Amino acid sequence: MTVFKILFRIPWHLLFLAGILVLVGSLALYSASQGSWQPWAGRHAVRAIVGMALVVCVAFIDFSFIKRMSYVFLAAAILVLLAVMVIGTGQGVSRWISIGGMNFQPSEPAKLAVIMALARYFSSQPHDRMRSFVWYLPAFVIIAVPFVMIVKQPDLGTALMLLFGGLVVVFSAGLPWRYVFGSLVAVLAAVPLLWVQLKAYQKVRVMTFLNPESDVLGAGYQITQSKIALGSGGFFGKGFLMGSQSQLNYLPEKQTDFVFTMIGEEFGFAGNIFILLIYLLITIAILRISFRVISRFAQLTCIGIGMMVFFYMFVNVAMVSGLLPVVGAPLPLISYGGTSMLTVFIGFGIVASAIVHDRRQS
Amino acid sequence: MFRAKTKDLRRTMSRRGLLLAGGSALLTSFLGARLFQLQVAQNNRYQRLSDRNQFDVRIVAPTRGRLFDRKMRLLAGNAESFELYITPLYVDDLQQTLAALGQIVELTERDIKAVLLAARKGPSFRDIIVRDDLSQRELARLAVRSPLFGGVSFGKSLRRIYPQGSLACHITGYVSPVTAREIKRNQSLEKTPYLGTGKVGVEFAHEDYLRGLPGRERIEVNAKGQPVRVLRDVDAMSGKDLQLSIDVGVQLQAAEILRRGQLEPVELGSLQVQRALAKNTELQAHIALGDDLVLRDAKDRLVPPESGAVVVMDIHSGEVISLVSAPMFDPNLFTGTLLTRDWRRLNSHPRTPLLNRATSGQYAPGSTFKMVVGLAAIEAGVISKDTQFNCSGDMELGNATFHCWRKGGHGMMNIISALEQSCDVFIYEVALKTGIRKIKDMAHRLGLGDVTGIGLPGEKQGIIPSHEWKLANQGRVWTPGETVVSSIGQGYVLATPLQLAVMTARLANGKQAVTPRLVKSIGDTASDFAPLDIDPYALAIVREGMFKVMNGGLGTARNYDLDKSLGGMAGKTGTVQVKRITKAQREEGIVNNIDRPWAERDHALFVAYAPVKRPRYAISVVVEHGGSGSSTAAPVARDILTQLMQKQG
Repeated sequence: MTVFKILFRIPWHLLFLAGILVLVGSLALYSASQGSWQPWAGRHAVRAIVGMALVVCVAFIDFSFIKRMSYVFLAAAILVLLAVMVIGTGQGVSRWISIGGMNFQPSEPAKLAVIMALARYFSSQPHDRMRSFVWYLPAFVIIAVPFVMIVKQPDLGTALMLLFGGLVVVFSAGLPWRYVFGSLVAVLAAVPLLWVQLKAYQKVRVMTFLNPESDVLGAGYQITQSKIALGSGGFFGKGFLMGSQSQLNYLPEKQTDFVFTMIGEEFGFAGNIFILLIYLLITIAILRISFRVISRFAQLTCIGIGMMVFFYMFVNVAMVSGLLPVVGAPLPLISYGGTSMLTVFIGFGIVASAIVHDRRQS
Repeated sequence: MFRAKTKDLRRTMSRRGLLLAGGSALLTSFLGARLFQLQVAQNNRYQRLSDRNQFDVRIVAPTRGRLFDRKMRLLAGNAESFELYITPLYVDDLQQTLAALGQIVELTERDIKAVLLAARKGPSFRDIIVRDDLSQRELARLAVRSPLFGGVSFGKSLRRIYPQGSLACHITGYVSPVTAREIKRNQSLEKTPYLGTGKVGVEFAHEDYLRGLPGRERIEVNAKGQPVRVLRDVDAMSGKDLQLSIDVGVQLQAAEILRRGQLEPVELGSLQVQRALAKNTELQAHIALGDDLVLRDAKDRLVPPESGAVVVMDIHSGEVISLVSAPMFDPNLFTGTLLTRDWRRLNSHPRTPLLNRATSGQYAPGSTFKMVVGLAAIEAGVISKDTQFNCSGDMELGNATFHCWRKGGHGMMNIISALEQSCDVFIYEVALKTGIRKIKDMAHRLGLGDVTGIGLPGEKQGIIPSHEWKLANQGRVWTPGETVVSSIGQGYVLATPLQLAVMTARLANGKQAVTPRLVKSIGDTASDFAPLDIDPYALAIVREGMFKVMNGGLGTARNYDLDKSLGGMAGKTGTVQVKRITKAQREEGIVNNIDRPWAERDHALFVAYAPVKRPRYAISVVVEHGGSGSSTAAPVARDILTQLMQKQG
């Protein structure tokens, strides 16, 4: 395959949509630092450019190589998660690993590894096994091991996203409906057990989520301020750099988890809907690619990655608008934070590689 | 077969992929709906919450109106004062921060305790005042180091000052921090920070006029409570200044003359004096208030200054030129945080310095009441100028004997000589013939028994007794003996020094029922007083008697007349028994006034107007337990009028 052909087949529209999000993110981070490229906006833009280059690079990798390596990725991810348990950093939690002065959050790429490992597993199973629940059990193990490790970090938000991403792959692989409903019931039954497992601060978060006004200056502070910022934005927002909640530092974590809120305050309902639509377009574009690739592995990988991006967005937006507890989930490509952006761009690269090397001849 | 199955599986996967796409779209629209709810439907509510976050609405205290004397000399003004606040919300460790602040500014253990208590009680976002009245040096040190303290800020406010010190304390009253009770009455006071309200005196009486209207500013604050910028919405409207009729110069002299009386001041520094002071608790209480005047009495004892009251007023306009009540206090003590020590000293002082004796001190008027009886009798036609009675030194009524102050009696008296020599028996006879009803009526017409309306809070109305009064208050009927006792201003009769001045002013004015005023009305002439409506013939006779008090050969105050070059004065002395003299004491011979304990000595009273020909000023003097009205009170009035009228030229 010629370089030209590969470049031609790369899904540039995905990169274009990602570029819009990166641009919005850079503007938001510029505003978050009271109108300055320091310390976030500039680095965010540079990372994004590197990330997009990475997408193109990954697109050149032969997709069969990626398929061969998928179990290796999972093994590596689990090893790194183990390492985090030992040498990890973070405030009272161990989520990050320092590599050359840069903080790296291994739970993010673990999502990708789980998706690909599941896709690999299902693609290697003969079709008739897919009716029997037994053959799904290895898939649940693939999800459960990293899930438990991330829950123990503890990082419930990322763990749940990994779980959803994995389950989507299992679902797409053709899990019979009776099992789908069966496991839904099982999950609901497990909620009390999970509650016992939660750390005190996580319980507080959930309780606060249920009644944020109970502790306006304490644990409910973030969500209360976030809702005020969003709500006061109105339809068109207060204007760029004019968001009083954000500019006056009422809004916590406005450069990371609450960047969507800040955009909502400054650009209003219109701005937020615009972002939601871009994410939806990206998700649908990737799902559309999943229809065009040949192998099951490629298909399942694309669905998994597409839905992973969607879950990122959904959990974050639901969290900042008070629909979910504050679990700590970034808005990829917009939030400041390298690992989630890297994960999303590698995911895009894999999708690109799939459509470049594994497409149906039309 | 296998192919078909693969195709089947592909279809399943495609279907599920579509399902996921549809689910994503559904969930996205769900989020959109949520955002619509927050940002569009409930926008108003969150906008309001955001404004409240962003802006700390502060009420700006208005500048309080100043008080001036009649020559525009400052009686009460405002001085800049700096305070140190702390906002508990933004302080990590309150105790530690306060300890660190204590290294920079002076903080007592009590200050710290007060802040900790306030922090426990109040909401954490409310500023608490840590220290007020910061010195320049403390300010400079704080300015350098305050960035190190989160939640610590300064504020500038205006503090009420009384540059004349204690001189006009009972007139101006004082301003002190607003109390919980005032807030209960007027909720809006609570919102104005560090507001002072007038508690007594003119500061209280004209509170609304002086206070002004608070302004409102919005301070944009960040989440740490640090101000970013200030938006002024409503400017505070300063209170209006008030010019009082008081003349500070006259006030100063009146206070000095009254307090010193006829005694000699002593040098406080001498060892002998210091030793005497150490033993004298009354003098200690007095010196603790910051007064350095100590006198030596006729028996060579060290005594505090005289207490009592002086009121000088213009008989035409009613303007009160001087109103002194002694002892006095320093109103500046109240403007900031009143120290418990000072409060205790003021309250435990045996002579109640906080009491305004001029308006709220009620004294038996004694012989100064005789003009009332004389006027009532002449007007009623009971006596004329020439009606005579013999004074034998006492009068029998039923089985009681009423004595004249002069043991041997005065002999034949008419109303003029009776006033001149202050004969009691003549007045007894006249009063019995006139009746208490007419006497009471005349007293009221002269301003006794009613609040004068000078406009100072707590003014007392005195007592002018009558049949009805006694029935209502004692449940018994009036007896003629009580008419006798009342006629010489004793018994139930009570009047304030201000009322006595008003009575004298009305006597001297003759046409109008002058009422006293403390606030100088601009362009407002005296013409709005009610007519006095007392027979001019009767007035002329009584005035003649008062003239004779100063000028008659036997006048009780003949030695204390105002210099003739200033027009002389007409007056009346009064010496009021405080302790009943028993029959046994009378027979033994009355103990000399000065040999009795201070609190048992007679009150000395004197009222006068001057100049005699064309009267202009009326004065009343009460020297508490001062002894005789003539020798103690009359010279006080003379000296004050001399100073006042010499200045007028």
